[in-house]
Amino acid sequence: MRVKRQAPDFVLFISVLMLLSIGLVMILSASEYSTLVRYSDSFYFFKRQLLWALFGLTLLFVVMNYDYWNLRRYAPHMLIAAFVLLILVLIPGIGREVKGATRWIGIGTFGFQPSELVKLFIIIFLAYGISRYRDIGRNTKTIVPYLLITGAAAGLILLQPDLGTAFTLSGTLFIMLFAAGYSMGILGLLAGAGAGLVGLAIALEPYRLSRFLAFLNPWEDPSGAGFHIIQSLYALGSGGLFGAGLGQGKQKYLYLPEQHTDFIFAVVGEELGFIGGVLILTLFTIFVWRGLRIALTAPDPFAGLLATGITVGIGLQAFINIGVVTGSLPVTGITLPFISYGGTSLAFTLIGVGVLLNISKYAHSR
Amino acid sequence: MQSTSIIMRKRITVLFFFAAFLLFILVSRLAYIQFVQGDQLRQDALENRTRDIPVEAKRGSIFDRKGNELVTSVSVDSVFAIPSQVTKPDEAAAKIAVVLDLDVDKVHKQITQKQSFVWIKRKVDYQQAQELKALKLEGIGFVEESKRYYLKGDLAAHVLGFVGVDNQGLTGIENTFENDLSGTAGRIVVERDAAGREISNAVHNYFPPVQGHNLVLTIDETVQYFVERELDKLIDKFQPKGAVVTVMDPRTGEILAMGNRPTFDPNHWSAAPQSTWDRNVAIWYNYEPGSTFKIIILSAALEEMTVNKNDRFYDPGYVKVADRNIRCWKAGGHGSQSFEEVIQNSCNPGFIKIGLNVGIPDFYKYVRGFGFGTPTGVILPGEAQGITIPEKKATTLNLATMSIGQSIAVTPLQLLTAVSASINGGLLMEPMLVKAVTDADGKVVHEYQPKSVRRVVSEETSREVASLLEGVVLYGSGRNAYVDGYRVGGKTGTAQVVGSSGGYVSGRYVSSFIGFAPVEDPQVAILVTVIEPQGGVYFGSQVAAPTFRAVMQDTLQYLGVPEQKDLPKPKNLNFWENTREPEEVRVPQVVNVPVNQAVQDLRGIGLNFMIRGEGPVVYGQIPEAGATVLEGTTVILELKTGPEEESAAQVTVPDLAGLTIKQVGGLLENMGLRLEPVGTGFASRQKPGPGEKVDRGAFVRVEFEPTAERQGPTD
Repeated sequence: MRVKRQAPDFVLFISVLMLLSIGLVMILSASEYSTLVRYSDSFYFFKRQLLWALFGLTLLFVVMNYDYWNLRRYAPHMLIAAFVLLILVLIPGIGREVKGATRWIGIGTFGFQPSELVKLFIIIFLAYGISRYRDIGRNTKTIVPYLLITGAAAGLILLQPDLGTAFTLSGTLFIMLFAAGYSMGILGLLAGAGAGLVGLAIALEPYRLSRFLAFLNPWEDPSGAGFHIIQSLYALGSGGLFGAGLGQGKQKYLYLPEQHTDFIFAVVGEELGFIGGVLILTLFTIFVWRGLRIALTAPDPFAGLLATGITVGIGLQAFINIGVVTGSLPVTGITLPFISYGGTSLAFTLIGVGVLLNISKYAHSR
Repeated sequence: MQSTSIIMRKRITVLFFFAAFLLFILVSRLAYIQFVQGDQLRQDALENRTRDIPVEAKRGSIFDRKGNELVTSVSVDSVFAIPSQVTKPDEAAAKIAVVLDLDVDKVHKQITQKQSFVWIKRKVDYQQAQELKALKLEGIGFVEESKRYYLKGDLAAHVLGFVGVDNQGLTGIENTFENDLSGTAGRIVVERDAAGREISNAVHNYFPPVQGHNLVLTIDETVQYFVERELDKLIDKFQPKGAVVTVMDPRTGEILAMGNRPTFDPNHWSAAPQSTWDRNVAIWYNYEPGSTFKIIILSAALEEMTVNKNDRFYDPGYVKVADRNIRCWKAGGHGSQSFEEVIQNSCNPGFIKIGLNVGIPDFYKYVRGFGFGTPTGVILPGEAQGITIPEKKATTLNLATMSIGQSIAVTPLQLLTAVSASINGGLLMEPMLVKAVTDADGKVVHEYQPKSVRRVVSEETSREVASLLEGVVLYGSGRNAYVDGYRVGGKTGTAQVVGSSGGYVSGRYVSSFIGFAPVEDPQVAILVTVIEPQGGVYFGSQVAAPTFRAVMQDTLQYLGVPEQKDLPKPKNLNFWENTREPEEVRVPQVVNVPVNQAVQDLRGIGLNFMIRGEGPVVYGQIPEAGATVLEGTTVILELKTGPEEESAAQVTVPDLAGLTIKQVGGLLENMGLRLEPVGTGFASRQKPGPGEKVDRGAFVRVEFEPTAERQGPTD
């Protein structure tokens, strides 16, 4: 017996569309020079991203009209698929090494980054698994298998290595456990253990600490560990309130690394200024607000946890990315959802949004 | 169908507030970066992305006190290359090399260097720059730079100094006032991508340079010209190793002119030998001032009242100080003299007595008071401070020799400043070279005022010193300094050069004259110092005083100092006869005697001498040993010039100018040459000329004229 279907969450959809549009424009602006130099085509990345966005939106509409309830049936398969992908990417010959990390799976000329899909699959499985229990707060033992799954997935991702995604995934799953209602005691213990692991990793290899903390004072090593941050701060600082104007940024002239992917927010800050930066932050906040609202009004615990997971997964990634770009967090290679260039990752993110929108159709009135 | 649990809803609500909190943090952080750090980051970012091309500031001009421009800067183009933008290096190098007259390979190397900016040639000719600009070569650019131009050539070269290729002041005023003159360099900023390529919408900022300030000197171009002119004459006549003339306004310490020989043209300074431009003799040269220093003793004695104007002095020709006999320059001495006569005669025993009466402590009080042993403070680089024996180590003998200007070394400017103090009313002034610093519009930025260092003697003493020194010009050794229509005071000086080993060098003198006018209100003080005059004439009265007179006369008239009528004039041109009848003496044998010894022997019995040639030992003498001559007669000492000449069949004809027929005959005979005399009097022209090589036994035709200047001691 399902509640009456409603129209999907329009506000969330609009915020995603706006972020997507801003992203396309900024990719064009950020990459026009580097692509001109590299491919003699200023629209090289823009054209590809535009196609992926259209493809992603198509998927979004398909998924939006696919009853989320059916996902439960495939949840175990998805988990297995996720781990297969995570192992495949590590196998030489299948996994493609780019800039010292194997995050890509190559099939012929086509390549895709499985992390985003893996994230979505594990979130679905976790929501499916936990939602089966009742009165979770007094049933602490049920957490164990999910911790093992989370740990194993994060560990495999760390082998790529992809610290940013590993952190986003474990953070997201941790917040899902929090939302599910596990006692604060066990959650506190988990947080403490996580912090202990990070501490151990640093203690074993002291150089990690200095690299890890380079973001606190990038000028100590301006041409090494601090280089990315300094160029990013240069871009943001040059923006001021209104920015240099769209297309008028200068840091993209090969000074800013990863100007169309990881550091695209710096280009936004330089060209659109504080206003542009706050607009993007606001749109993400609206997205999180509407996403969590969908979770709150979800018709069942599975839907609620699923919506929470998808929302937090995207929100947390956005927070970490902007935190890195503004020099507030250690540098980890992580993209800004909806905005950064990256076709497969955008498509999978939009599939997640489709799921969210589908859940919103079944919201019960408060 | 179950709904979400209550705890789940609560926690999701918590998540929402947490998200809002994270938003707040990121917005704050963004605001901090973009507003608080924004300006700094924007500037750093721009600097990080830009390459600067420097633009030189126009260096300020230098004017004389009347506003005549002495030094200016003219705009010229400098050519540079930005190698990354040079598209056809081979073609460009060939074209540039032709236009700028450079080596093709060198240019090619320059424009293909892995640098963002390379100078090809600085400060090129206008014509070359125009030709090169017309070629419109890619990656080749032009920057307007200024080139220093010294409008008056070598006029006051040592005062002005010169600049290097980057227009940095290297010596003189150019160096000391570098900060005022240089201005602030501008720059052209061009934004580039990280690989050094120019970008389309780049920032091309031009930060204009700020022009340097101008200087107004105390130097008067006209007075400086008088000095340069007279220095040229002096050089022509005496071929000294060096000469310096400094003109000062004794009331203010303003230097009206300062000229040096040898000199150079600051426009082409590097073409001149280093020794001509790396020192300003007026402030760098330490020398024994000789009799000119007696003015200081005189001032000290009068101020301390250790001498009475009515005192009488007896000079037997020497004075015994601490078991040493110090001779008067005049053989046999001056006999009984009044105080004024001691000064007019520049009598050494008299001055030694005056000095000994002053005593060591008071003597040093005045040496320091007049500024000896410390730099004068003139705004020029490379000032020496003179050398004085430390007071604690000074002996009575030192005091005696210092009283006649020996055993103490001073710089010309120190002496002029000190003597100015002794006659200007008693105030030691700091020498001034710069009156004002003005900006590009002529507005005064900084004005220099005359600065009195201290009072040294009273006005009364000063007046007395001035009037006693007038006596030297009217009745004593300074008559060659007399300027008709003005009351002139002054003092001659002749001192031996102190060699590198510390002892005196025979036959090498520093002749000087220091004087001032008008005596009743001194407005001009001049010191003429001539280092090692050649040609046998070396007394200050003969070498330096005529130069002093010429500069003083022109300067007084130029400054409009009114002439006075019915002033006393030097009474007797041949004043030497005033003293006593010269006695007959026998010329000693000095051939093959070391020069030092020979000179002492001659001076010891009242004979003067003249050195011809160079060398350590006397080769020949005129008159010959045993001849009976009058005191004061000049004995010519011919020195060995080199061993090869002795044996050679050829000899070098000496300079005979000014010699008597008897002297010429003896000298030529000694050298194996024969005389063909024409006329009577003193030698004026000769053939072959001095320095020419002729066979032994050849005739030298010498014309004699009665008007030639008479040789005679004046010190």
